[in-house]
Amino acid sequence: MPGSIGLETRKVSRIALSGRDFRGVNFELLCQQGDEVQAGAALMRDARRPSIQFVAPVAGRIASIERGTRRKLNSLQIDVDESIGVVRYQPPETLDKNSLREFMLASGAWSSLRTRPFGNIPHPDAEPAAIFVTALDAEPLAPEPRPITDAFSAEFRAAVDALAGISAAPLYVCQAPGHTLPLGDSSKLRCVSFSKGYSAGLPGIHINALCPIGFGGGEVWHLGYQEVIALGHLLLHGSPWRQRVISLGGNAVKTSRSLCVYPGSAIDELLAGELHDGSITVLSGSAVYGRELAVDEAFLAAGQRQITVQREALDEAGAGTGVLIPSEALEELAPPGIYPVPLLRALQVGDAERARELGALELVEEDLAPLSMACQSGSDYGVLLRAVLDQLEGLR
Amino acid sequence: MASRFERNTSRRRIFNLQLLALVPVGIAALLNTGYQYLRVLAENPALESDDIRSRIARGLGASFQNPEIYDMLAAGLAHLLPILALALITGGVWERIIADRRQRPVESGFVLIALLFTLLLPGAAAFSHVVFGMSFAILVGKAIFGGEGRTFLSPALLGIAIVQVSFPGSAGQHPLWQGLSGYGGSEAFALFHRGGEAALNAADINLWSAFIGNTPGPMGTTSVLAVALGAVLLLVTRIISWRLLVAQIFGLAVFVTLFNMAGAESGASTMTVHWHLLLGSFLFAAVFLACDPAASCCTNPGRWIQGFVIGALVVLIRIGNSTHPDAVIPALLLASILAPLIDHAVIAVNIHRRSRRHV
Repeated sequence: MPGSIGLETRKVSRIALSGRDFRGVNFELLCQQGDEVQAGAALMRDARRPSIQFVAPVAGRIASIERGTRRKLNSLQIDVDESIGVVRYQPPETLDKNSLREFMLASGAWSSLRTRPFGNIPHPDAEPAAIFVTALDAEPLAPEPRPITDAFSAEFRAAVDALAGISAAPLYVCQAPGHTLPLGDSSKLRCVSFSKGYSAGLPGIHINALCPIGFGGGEVWHLGYQEVIALGHLLLHGSPWRQRVISLGGNAVKTSRSLCVYPGSAIDELLAGELHDGSITVLSGSAVYGRELAVDEAFLAAGQRQITVQREALDEAGAGTGVLIPSEALEELAPPGIYPVPLLRALQVGDAERARELGALELVEEDLAPLSMACQSGSDYGVLLRAVLDQLEGLR
Repeated sequence: MASRFERNTSRRRIFNLQLLALVPVGIAALLNTGYQYLRVLAENPALESDDIRSRIARGLGASFQNPEIYDMLAAGLAHLLPILALALITGGVWERIIADRRQRPVESGFVLIALLFTLLLPGAAAFSHVVFGMSFAILVGKAIFGGEGRTFLSPALLGIAIVQVSFPGSAGQHPLWQGLSGYGGSEAFALFHRGGEAALNAADINLWSAFIGNTPGPMGTTSVLAVALGAVLLLVTRIISWRLLVAQIFGLAVFVTLFNMAGAESGASTMTVHWHLLLGSFLFAAVFLACDPAASCCTNPGRWIQGFVIGALVVLIRIGNSTHPDAVIPALLLASILAPLIDHAVIAVNIHRRSRRHV
């Protein structure tokens, strides 16, 4: 099936599920080191919400289970062996809310949903105010969604129909202008086009425009187009979609291009032989919204669509001054409707109440990534935002 | 679009660009200060005194008989350099003391403050006033708030304001050449107030000379052309807010037009918009002082409001108060003090609007 998108496939020997991709989940293991697992087999579940399952993206042998501080799961690594086989899931016979949710929970598809505010996996019984499907990607060097959704149009359509069925809320499909997606005719379906700058593909932008999060305590859900295709694959074929399309780009990469890879592929294997010599910086995501990979992040994150590798421009000045000086660049990069300077100042001093009033609930780390880059203070506003969101979440 | 790899150099980059934007203004200041000095001496050679400035000018070979570009530059240097050097030394010494006491590295921003402060002074400013104003700018304008980026007034603006208030006879709104004892020349602005356009023509001031900056006034503020070049650089590199700049000019234009329509026969209120823009230090201050990002509003609606307030205040003070014919410094001080209040109101409106929408 990779051939149907016409992209080069790159198979790696190690993949992993990373704990940091699933915020707030307390993992309970359902397997052991050395077990052979089929693709789609349940590996873990959330201890507090046991119906949320996490499945093996690809068949293989559990190579290691690494835990960090306070026994938090860092990663569950699998040595790929496709010959072990695939778990078949029986798609629900009727598209009613409960059977759809049960199917998504058991097959692991539920874990690709994210909430705003906070960016968690939604509670299995929660009701969203809206569901957003992000079917465009405007970041520099990102893979083009259109050929992918076209190649998997049946899967996309089936999944959108199912998503419309899991709640009574409207389902927004956010797409690039002029792109007609193959969709059903559910009355909850709303197609919206976005086109302005690199931020046009961020769910935060769509949510702010269509269903802004106020102080009412509600939440919206969102997921990306490749996760939608994965759900459609489960619905139509009963088996997990064992690939993702990512793009490899940046000025340290010999040939920038899109690749078909396993979900959670080991990044060092993906990059082997692809890079120019010299010191480099590896970013998860694009040069604008991406984030530098930490030392312990050796695998593709859930939902990650890009690896950008830049030649390192080492700075001699060291860290910034900590002082935020307003600039036009900050105003331009700020999410719409948000005053960047007051918000960033509130985040710097950890004033959660003020940050909430200024719109922090609409944001997650990626929305502030360009502001952290453009600000000369050297603060990482993503980290500061998360600290504030954790405080606010505790108050809810 | 900012790239990740610009961040760590951006502080130095902003500083360099701000210095670069002042280069045309500095060149214009040298040429015009020298030109004015030589012109005065050519008209009245008896005025030449044996002070340090004329000694430097003569040492550099400036002659006031048929002055050429070089003579103007040399005479300009003789006025600008001593003031700039003194401002830099004063600022540097204070920075050093403060950095030692706080055990932090010396902040380079004092160079910019010294340069702006110098350009706002008349060429004949007394050296004691330079030391006093610069000390005030660094200590009260910057250090007590915690240093760069934490100020709420532009330090150079504060330094100039304290010199104007403390020594009203010597700097700012008063004759450029008062340092040359005995000469009673006058700044272009005051000329218009007294005698309208006829007085300007009598002093050889026309639209073109006011545009390129061939008029008496504080050293760096006379050339609209040079200020415009610097402004373009700062706008293109997005260091200053175009909204704030446009709002200032808009506010000035609106209020000047209102006064013009009031229909007085003569006096300050008959001055038209283009003369308001060309004479005095409005544009210089609008670009280099009012748009100081640390000392102006930090929300876009706030910037529109603050800019409009600055323009309006400049016109009101210029027309209403003849002791401040230029009016830019007091207007900017008032507007800077208002900035946090404006931001507070803008943010309160934003929060209120946000609180009314729910999901």
